[in-house]
Amino acid sequence: MLPRRLYTSLAISVAAMGFAATASADPITIVDQADRTVTLQKPADRIASIPIPMASTIIAMDGGTSKLVGMNPTAKSAIVEGVLGRIFPEAKDIPSDITAPNFIPNIEELAATHPDLVIQWADYGADLVDPISNAGLNVALISYGTEEKTRYYHNMVATALGKPERAALINGWRDTVANEMAAKAKDIPADKKPKVLYLGRALENLTASGNKGNYNAWYIDLVGGVNASSDVQGNGTTISPEQIAEWNPDVILLNSFEAKLGIDRIYNDPILSLTKAAKEHKVYKMPLGGYRWDPPSQESPLTWMWLANLLHPDVFAYDLRGEMKKAYKTLYNYDLTDADIDGILWMDMQGAETAYAQFKAK
Amino acid sequence: MSTVATEPVRSGISALRIGVFGLMIAGLVATMLFSIGAGRFSVSVPRIAEILVNGALNPGTIPDEMDERIVLLVRLPRVLLAALSGAALAVGGAALQGVFRNPLVSPQVLGISQGAAFGGALALLFGYSGIVLLGMSFLLGLAALILVGALARINGRTEIITVILSGMVVGALFAALVSIVQFVADPNTSLPAIVYWLMGSFSTATWARLGLAVPGMALGLFAVWLLRYRLNLLALEDSEARSLGVNPDRERWIVFAAISLMTGTSVAVAGIVGWIGLVVPHAARILVGEDHRALIPASALLGAAYLTFIDTLARTLTAAEIPLGVLTALIGAPVFGLLLRRHFREANRA
Repeated sequence: MLPRRLYTSLAISVAAMGFAATASADPITIVDQADRTVTLQKPADRIASIPIPMASTIIAMDGGTSKLVGMNPTAKSAIVEGVLGRIFPEAKDIPSDITAPNFIPNIEELAATHPDLVIQWADYGADLVDPISNAGLNVALISYGTEEKTRYYHNMVATALGKPERAALINGWRDTVANEMAAKAKDIPADKKPKVLYLGRALENLTASGNKGNYNAWYIDLVGGVNASSDVQGNGTTISPEQIAEWNPDVILLNSFEAKLGIDRIYNDPILSLTKAAKEHKVYKMPLGGYRWDPPSQESPLTWMWLANLLHPDVFAYDLRGEMKKAYKTLYNYDLTDADIDGILWMDMQGAETAYAQFKAK
Repeated sequence: MSTVATEPVRSGISALRIGVFGLMIAGLVATMLFSIGAGRFSVSVPRIAEILVNGALNPGTIPDEMDERIVLLVRLPRVLLAALSGAALAVGGAALQGVFRNPLVSPQVLGISQGAAFGGALALLFGYSGIVLLGMSFLLGLAALILVGALARINGRTEIITVILSGMVVGALFAALVSIVQFVADPNTSLPAIVYWLMGSFSTATWARLGLAVPGMALGLFAVWLLRYRLNLLALEDSEARSLGVNPDRERWIVFAAISLMTGTSVAVAGIVGWIGLVVPHAARILVGEDHRALIPASALLGAAYLTFIDTLARTLTAAEIPLGVLTALIGAPVFGLLLRRHFREANRA
């Protein structure tokens, strides 16, 4: 949980920006998620992002790619190979050698992109930050993993871009959807809440996470489910198939990080195929949209709607395809085609799973 | 051991030795049975016995019930794989310590583990698992050994010191290559798998994987067992060994090849499980003495029981799988420290 005064100071700077939207000469002050104050003389025209999820967030907050001047190579491959690569084909020309996948900045390449602002992780230590500020570049730090942190850095980046109204719009959507869901989920009796297991890795070894600070656990709870792996300590911990048999989850969610991972992984496994989830055909791979749907991103409300409809189709009846079209129009100014949606939702692979037919094109 | 022992004393020693081996075999069997019974999914002891008997009566059929599958398809191959790997790693260490006449060496000194680790990490980097991972780690383990052989061979002869130094060089080279793989790996996808795999685990054990591990490990174990007399001779000075009709160079390389086969296979199926080859032979020496004819089988039995036990801890203590390398080091390092102190105290006294 962030200190309240961070929110307050951010709110003030956002409000100030609101009045000064046209007077671009006024400096912008943001307080980042390491409690550092960063001042920009004018809205940033060029932002370089070292954390992986941030690149697509910057695109969403700006509504285009023109202000993203550098990103993590892993973020780039995700963008180029995914739907964002189709929406913004020019993204393939954005430099990605400003860092290796390990987030250590390559200062000379970074400086060569002439960024007005560099985004870096807040939680990886000063060694990954100091070289950037020592090179005379503005750097703002972000922290990841919870809904609050996500909304905070959305606001921070949109403010830096001089478009705080974008964050207000996108965060407002999150707020509305989350509140609506919480209100509906509150009436679901405890014995009707399915045990949901999210496998963060499943190809070579199996990993699951506990409840503490885990985003997947958070939204499983939000949509009226129970995290099957809540007794694990920590995040992304390796577990045995035997442990999964012991939990016997009602629903299994596969990550969207492992490209080669499909629902066959569960049905071909001698142990996992005997779980309740497999027997009732409730195995789903997380969709892959503008960013992966498993961790927090600008598309998170779509993740929640997707899972809510799968767990409780009678309680939540979101028109997911319609919501996706609206969201992509807002976030990326793009009209999703039915084929795009089928691809994002892996309709080919899992269209026949339980409750998945509701996502078919009408 | 005295060579002028009278007959009654000699038979007394062998009776004692049979007793010690009997105890070790009983210990191994008990450990394996305990390990099959222990796990996160609760299955009662009578039920386990029933499942094992049924499984033995109907080999090759896949049962329908979860508890049957857990015992027959998860625990049994895992216990057997852990036992086999433990035996292979311990025997590899014992043989290597004999060849180098140095109680402080282990399979890592030949660079095989690092080579195999690079192969496996590379496979994971490109998103491969299973057979490709196995094949690449085994091949690169072998490549490391061949590289050591080529580097250490000077004027047609190989000195022990050059083998150790070449092993260090090759090991360092492959360790650097592993670092490069970690450096370029995607922190979202392949990196966690690589890091976890490098720490060692039997969590991916299956019958198929056991089947892949058996030929290499069994061949290596058998080769070292055949060479158990030669190991006693290799432990002598080279000139002495030559005067007894042994070609120390050739014999040594056969031992090295056997060890690389065992170590490479073990890394391929379970990642790097350290310390077994260093610690277990010492415990075996305390029980049966220096003679390799007894030391090799004793190391195999103790290594098998030890690694089975450690793996049981790794998979049952918490819902999370504890990496094996962590446990073997936590237990192995202090034990080895004590052994080291004792070794030098005795050496000083002598």
